[in-house]
Amino acid sequence: MSATKATGGLYALLTEFESPAQFMHGCERVRDAGFKHWDAHSPFPVHGMDDAMGIRGTRLPWLVLVGGLSGLSLGVLMQWWMNAVDYPYMISGKPMFGLPAAVPVIFELTVLLSAFACFFGMWGLNGMPRLSHPLLAHDRFRRASQDRFYIVIEARDPRFETEKTRAFLASLGGSVVDEVRESVEG
Amino acid sequence: MAHHRVPTLQDTRTTLDGLGPRVLGISVAVGLAGLAAAVGLGLAQGDGLKHFSFAYLLNFAFFLGLSLGALFFIGIMFVTRASWNVVIRRLAEVMAAVMPLMAVLAIPVILLAGNIYGWMDPEVANSHAMAHKTGYLNLGAFTVRWIIYFVIWSGYSLFYWRSSLAQDKTGDLAITRRFENLSGFALLACGISMAAASFDLVMSIDPLWFSTMFAVYYWAGGFVTFFAVMTLVTLGLQRTGRLTRIVSPEHFHDLGKAMFAFTFFWGYIAFSQYMLYWYANIPEETAWYLLRSQNGWGELGKVQLYCTFGLPWLGLVSRWAKRSRKVLAFWAVWIIVAQWLNLYWVVMPEYSEHFVFSPIAVVCFLGIGGLWLAGVTRLAMGGSLVPTRDPRLDESLRFENA
Repeated sequence: MSATKATGGLYALLTEFESPAQFMHGCERVRDAGFKHWDAHSPFPVHGMDDAMGIRGTRLPWLVLVGGLSGLSLGVLMQWWMNAVDYPYMISGKPMFGLPAAVPVIFELTVLLSAFACFFGMWGLNGMPRLSHPLLAHDRFRRASQDRFYIVIEARDPRFETEKTRAFLASLGGSVVDEVRESVEG
Repeated sequence: MAHHRVPTLQDTRTTLDGLGPRVLGISVAVGLAGLAAAVGLGLAQGDGLKHFSFAYLLNFAFFLGLSLGALFFIGIMFVTRASWNVVIRRLAEVMAAVMPLMAVLAIPVILLAGNIYGWMDPEVANSHAMAHKTGYLNLGAFTVRWIIYFVIWSGYSLFYWRSSLAQDKTGDLAITRRFENLSGFALLACGISMAAASFDLVMSIDPLWFSTMFAVYYWAGGFVTFFAVMTLVTLGLQRTGRLTRIVSPEHFHDLGKAMFAFTFFWGYIAFSQYMLYWYANIPEETAWYLLRSQNGWGELGKVQLYCTFGLPWLGLVSRWAKRSRKVLAFWAVWIIVAQWLNLYWVVMPEYSEHFVFSPIAVVCFLGIGGLWLAGVTRLAMGGSLVPTRDPRLDESLRFENA
């Protein structure tokens, strides 16, 4: 940590709120202003936040569906190939490929690949794994896990203009507007 | 939160008022007419009411499973201290509290036991395979057990319903605490008694067959039926302007999740029971499935695989489906019909080894269903449709799926 200094280029502007109501109202205004690369941070889940931030439904379920269907097909093909084609072997008078006997493995593979798709898909969509984040080097931001709420607008947002955005954030009613710098090694 | 006002009980109607007597009148009429017609049709068969007995048993088992599902729901909600359910919990309370009525409706099953149960047949009862079972499977013990079951179920369901109504008046927090403390025991007692009852009521029709999974099989069917009925009842009440706004898409979403989950759970259990017997292939175990896989019953069994399990499960996968009142209502009706057909497939082959379409069973459904609905309506007329002073009501009104 000590080797990392947050002295790089401007990463984002941040503003801090003390109450969830103000915070949520602020989010609605950022949403309505049309920003895309921004985020809200709270020590606990705030109900209604998805609407306030204008978050669209996640694509994750589709990834899970694909994962599940892959597991299902894999389970069917694998057992059919192994038991009925590659090494046919009669077991207790059952058909070479008896579906009931294959179902548990098909089921487990469906669940396994769905879970993988869900877990790693979540990583992918969230830009993980990531070893550090500029916000984590920001002193004030430490209270995001305790008793303060933050709205952070990133500099890469097409609508971001340092002075105008600073003024906009200040108008949201938060207590302070602060710069978040990129971390630099050294 | 900030941007939209949380609804309150003042935003909607929370009593049955004029609707109560109307529904009560119609359902009593349908119930009595249905039962009378079923008995009439049964007598016309000239088989000593054998056909009627099975049709009656099927429908009694269906509605008993539904009411027990409601009772389990209440218990689970209290042991988990859940809050989302509070706006609809009173409906579950009245669905469970018809238990004394179900006890009365159980009397014909005991009276007609000779038509239904293999263990009532002296030849079967005296066979070698039954030597160690007749001490348990005989009419005296059967009757005593049913009295015990209904004492337990009526006791708990009336306790929930009465105490909850009392809380409407006093707002006493001790009542909620008592619910939470006792629900663990209630679930245990109801779980054990329901398992035994499922063996008695349905499994012992063929006293030589046994399945340790049968209790869960019956429970899962009743539980998913309960969620489907709860969804329809809530949607129906909303169409008459009751419980509007306070029961939101968030609550329907959860009911949809429950239908989705327990449809799968039912399928999982049904398949597991089948697969183990299919694999072991021991005659005394497979006999039950053999009967149900021939002479037309096998086709019904396959239809079920898709209709009871596959289709509603796929249909409810999507979040969108669970939040759409119309889609949810469609699958709720579907699940109720499919679960009834499942019990039909479980019960009726014991009556006839060739597939039969039984109008008596359908009429009997209206009969017992009408009386069940009448009982539920009568109880619901006794107070608010919502536990108005439950400490978690506010949380339930604010509920949102994350």
